[in-house]
Amino acid sequence: MVARLVGSSVARVEDPRILTGRGHYLDDVRLPGMLHAAFVRSPFPHAAVLGIDVTEALQVPGVRAVITIDDLDRVAGPLVPAGPPDLLVAPFPALARDRVRLVGDPVAVVLADSRAEAEDGVEAVEVDYDPLPGVGDMDDVLAGGTELVFPELGDNVLHRSTHRYGDTDAAFATAHRVVSARLDQHRHANVPMECRGIVAAFDPAAGTLEVQAAHQSPHALRMHLADVLGIPAHAVRVRCGDIGGSFGQKFGLSHEEVAIAGASVLVGRPVKWIEDRSENLMVGGQAREERVDVEAAVDPEGRILGLRVRMVMDQGAYPKVGYPATGYLSIVRALLPAAYRIDDIDFESVIVASNKATYVPYRGPWEIETWARERLLDLVARELGIDPVDVRERNLLTSADFPRASATGVELLGFDPRRTFDDTVDLLDLDAFRARQAAARAEGRLVGIGLANVVEPAPVTPSLIRAMGIMAAPRTVQEARARLELDGSVTVFTSQMPHGQSHETTLAQLTADQLGVGIDRVRVVHGDTRDTPFNLVGTGGSRAATLASGAVVGVARRVRDRVLEVASQLMEIDPADLDLVDGSVVARGAPGVSTPLAEIGRLAWVRPGLANADGRPGIEETATFDSAEGTWSVATHACEVEIDPETGLVRVDRYVVVGDCGAVINPAVVDGQVRGGVVQGIGAVLLERSAYDREAQFLSSTFMDHLLPTALDVPRIEVHHVHHEPTDEINFRGVGEGGAIGAPAALTSAIEDALAHLGVRVTEQFLPPVRILELIDAATGA
Amino acid sequence: MKPAPFAYVAPDSVEGVVGALVEAGDDAKVLAGGQSLLPLMALRLGRPSVLVDVGRVDGLDRVEVVGDDLVVGATVTHARLGRDPEVARVAPLLAEVAPFVAHAAVRNRGTLGGSLAHNDPAAEWPAVALLLDVVVTVQGPTGAREIAAADLFESYLTTTIEPDEVLTAVRVPGLGPRGGAAFDEVSRRAGDFALVGAGARVTLDDDGAVASAAVSFLGVGSTAVLDATVGADLAGRPPDEAAIDEVARAAAARLDPHDDLHATAAYRRRLAATLARRTLTTAVARASAEVAS
Amino acid sequence: MSATEPRTELDVAVEVNGEPRRARVEARRSLAELLRDDLELTGTHLGCEHGVCGSCTVLLDGVPVRSCLMLAVQAEGRSVVTVEGLADGDRLHPVQQGCLERHSFQCGFCTPGILLTAAALLDAQPEPDEAAVREAISGNICRCTGYESIVDGILRAAEIAREAADGHAGEGA
Repeated sequence: MVARLVGSSVARVEDPRILTGRGHYLDDVRLPGMLHAAFVRSPFPHAAVLGIDVTEALQVPGVRAVITIDDLDRVAGPLVPAGPPDLLVAPFPALARDRVRLVGDPVAVVLADSRAEAEDGVEAVEVDYDPLPGVGDMDDVLAGGTELVFPELGDNVLHRSTHRYGDTDAAFATAHRVVSARLDQHRHANVPMECRGIVAAFDPAAGTLEVQAAHQSPHALRMHLADVLGIPAHAVRVRCGDIGGSFGQKFGLSHEEVAIAGASVLVGRPVKWIEDRSENLMVGGQAREERVDVEAAVDPEGRILGLRVRMVMDQGAYPKVGYPATGYLSIVRALLPAAYRIDDIDFESVIVASNKATYVPYRGPWEIETWARERLLDLVARELGIDPVDVRERNLLTSADFPRASATGVELLGFDPRRTFDDTVDLLDLDAFRARQAAARAEGRLVGIGLANVVEPAPVTPSLIRAMGIMAAPRTVQEARARLELDGSVTVFTSQMPHGQSHETTLAQLTADQLGVGIDRVRVVHGDTRDTPFNLVGTGGSRAATLASGAVVGVARRVRDRVLEVASQLMEIDPADLDLVDGSVVARGAPGVSTPLAEIGRLAWVRPGLANADGRPGIEETATFDSAEGTWSVATHACEVEIDPETGLVRVDRYVVVGDCGAVINPAVVDGQVRGGVVQGIGAVLLERSAYDREAQFLSSTFMDHLLPTALDVPRIEVHHVHHEPTDEINFRGVGEGGAIGAPAALTSAIEDALAHLGVRVTEQFLPPVRILELIDAATGA
Repeated sequence: MKPAPFAYVAPDSVEGVVGALVEAGDDAKVLAGGQSLLPLMALRLGRPSVLVDVGRVDGLDRVEVVGDDLVVGATVTHARLGRDPEVARVAPLLAEVAPFVAHAAVRNRGTLGGSLAHNDPAAEWPAVALLLDVVVTVQGPTGAREIAAADLFESYLTTTIEPDEVLTAVRVPGLGPRGGAAFDEVSRRAGDFALVGAGARVTLDDDGAVASAAVSFLGVGSTAVLDATVGADLAGRPPDEAAIDEVARAAAARLDPHDDLHATAAYRRRLAATLARRTLTTAVARASAEVAS
Repeated sequence: MSATEPRTELDVAVEVNGEPRRARVEARRSLAELLRDDLELTGTHLGCEHGVCGSCTVLLDGVPVRSCLMLAVQAEGRSVVTVEGLADGDRLHPVQQGCLERHSFQCGFCTPGILLTAAALLDAQPEPDEAAVREAISGNICRCTGYESIVDGILRAAEIAREAADGHAGEGA
């Protein structure tokens, strides 16, 4: 069949409602009798809670109830994080029992007739705190003696492990030189434009809990809530409508979700909590606070012979239920060599606790593997006086190396990193840039160029899962269900939970092409645990393009086969001689002989025995799809910057991405994902920081403190595609994360390039203007 | 993020506003554009018990030319200052500064008068008011009085306007012959509160030497700062690059800026020197153009 | 609203999307809350409630304002246009059509504020260049798109509006 929709920028199915103000986001939910919740939150990073007095709060006009852990204990158990045996984790209550562990830690919930009145009530709750020393610095934790965040765990160092690949000692013994660096990445956050939230409606008569939420994984939320609240799963339903972005944040199970659902159970009324922006910046979830100490053994040409790496992450106070902290390090470890020939690696992993917000996955949670590696390559280049582009070229794998098992055991196939790299270098016209750079320097101007190579598992492959050491069964398999309706239209049920990714469009494109119908004859249903196939991840991990697409194509084909079987009975023509074209089943070679899909749909449902031998009515099928090796989405990022030597302001003048994400379902959607990710990565370097002081007092709880890029802060992002030979028929690969992974590396590379002649070496990712000038001063002795 | 409860009244006269302020006592606040006050209240960092809205008072939205001066009513918005031809003619620096204030949607509501009365040390208008020797008119229970900018800004978010007084007008003197002024600022992003901003004003004598000069700064402490020493240091000298650079550095060295999340004191002092130099250079060029014409 | 005594609850009358609307509100209620909660026009989104993100932008007497930074009672007697009021029946406003054609948005949360800001821009400046568009929307934060598709959508909207003004159909390709 000729593909009609896949491959073209079909207009988004979501847009007619989104562009007219008729989307349905969580804060738009209104239920009869609904109360509004606001949280009493700790102002201290760390404190004992000696007492909570709600008497005065209950007198505040509009306040209906104040719920503390003593109340919640009657209906909810603790949140129980999981993890491997070598990770220290402890269960914790949804509201503080005797201790608060971060600024914003929830202590009580006030329920009122309006949110404003609930906030009035919050101000009237008296909490008696006895402050404890706050832990806000990983070096303090590693030095020992910090106040324990969870005394029952006995340590603030929660995990240590070492993995060795190859023979690193031998590699270092032959080294021409050893280049070492401490590379620091700062804590920042996902910051979706819509904050988190939940509306929980417990019906005391029916014993049912109906939850609406802004959440990436409705099935996971349902599973966790049923578990913590002890409500039978058959009585718990979770629905998600339009979601205003997430980038990994609306995931797993949070304190607030348990507290609000529990509050609804306690009062027997619907309860709504919409996180406000300060709460979101404070406790919505943060990421990326990681350090890599690296030593590289190199030969005289800048080839990496071996690496010794120690990675430390500050996971904050509470672990995320649904994502063990070791997962952040193990994927960095497994992916570190990526597209480069690095065979000997020692990798030490350390996780520390602090009095900071919960770590959540943020768009490409392993991003530091790219940033640290690309930073290292630049530092090697500077040390040896070789152009950074040449150092990359010398270390990159070539097509002759494929397929290949990386040192860490990851099967690499289905791409050629030299293609995106070479195309990028050509686009940059490097010689001309170096000439411009020399001329600019002569005028006292600072311009630079930077590159980075990204290999994104999109989705994770079986060998990557093995390399990460996840012992549980891979959770990659996806199911889709599809139903031919009475009128020949089609409903597709996906386990994806889109929040900006346009799956209502892309999955409909795939279905429509398989069934020979227009996109308006297909509806993609998501977000209701009562209807959609089970999946613990929902949307995340750049999984939809391959896994959801594979499942949808598979199920659409089954529907198609069933349609042709039914048509064959009706038309008395062999199915092999039938085709689906423009909404009808037609006889091949005899276009006049046809039966409309609407007729097949109607008869399949209403005529007993037609569709199924066992008498089941209708055509409704399911299919699954699992990941295979080779689903890599690769890209080379490059950017040009100019830095104002007087102010330290960095302007990104050009940004280029050359990527290979396999076949493209909807180019506009793909390019939008890439561009959005790149801009988040630019923001990470220049603007965004979740700031704490050394005692973990939180400093950036408004949008005046936590800055995001605006339309004036970023250039056009040039996106180019190359296509490697497909490894599988389903050759669509994810692109959700690569943009955000490549940009910090390419941008810091360019910044260093602009300043390298002054002696500046960039070993930190956050480079606000004040820091740029400090680096220049330090290098030049000014 | 909702404000604490308060009562609201929108009198239709200045007298009504003053009356409401007197009646409400120290807890009342005047509401003009609300673009600074309302976010503070949403964060519950400010919690007045009564808001007295001046938005319904007739005549406060006027821009008038009185002699060489521009008189701007209390409810005239930043956006209006940025586009009104009379403003551009009589007080061009105001038109030049207006686009630096936040973003268009905020400029459509926020007012010059409100910004002066709010006195945020990172806001543009207090520094500009000091630079241009602006005089504000305030009305209280005993009548109207004038306050020169030099006497207006007391400390962080505090002015010498009494709680029962309302700012009704801002008089901006003309620069006079052979005068030039300029403004510039550095912010993390366009539209953010500046890390540091500076304004400069220069008047030249017939020979092209400096007759008078001043610079003012924002973002360098608890309130905007006027530096008149620059004028004394430059007086009688030709305003060449070296002289400007010298006085700009000296002015920056006299500042006592603060560290915060976005910048260090040292960085602020350095930006102040750069911005003083840039704005003095532009102001001199503009004054020279006046001499030439 | 004509009361001379301060009140904590007031009646407010506002024209919204061309229709007279009334509500009794707390003095502290923002214009955004009036629109969303009292008038059930939930297309206006609250992204920060302190005036920075721009999601709540509406048109007040034709110019963009932050509806989170304005009290409902301050809108007394004024005219407000929200995202629900942009289209003319089934016919999309040029900024809606342009953004549809250019895949401008992803999650849709910042969308209402950007559409209204863009509509005001095109009203004041029918042929903006890219720099003018970026400046105009620089007070509106989008976290999904990197802005390029939005800029392209608004530039396309200007074309659509010109085509319509020239008497051509504005449906576009």
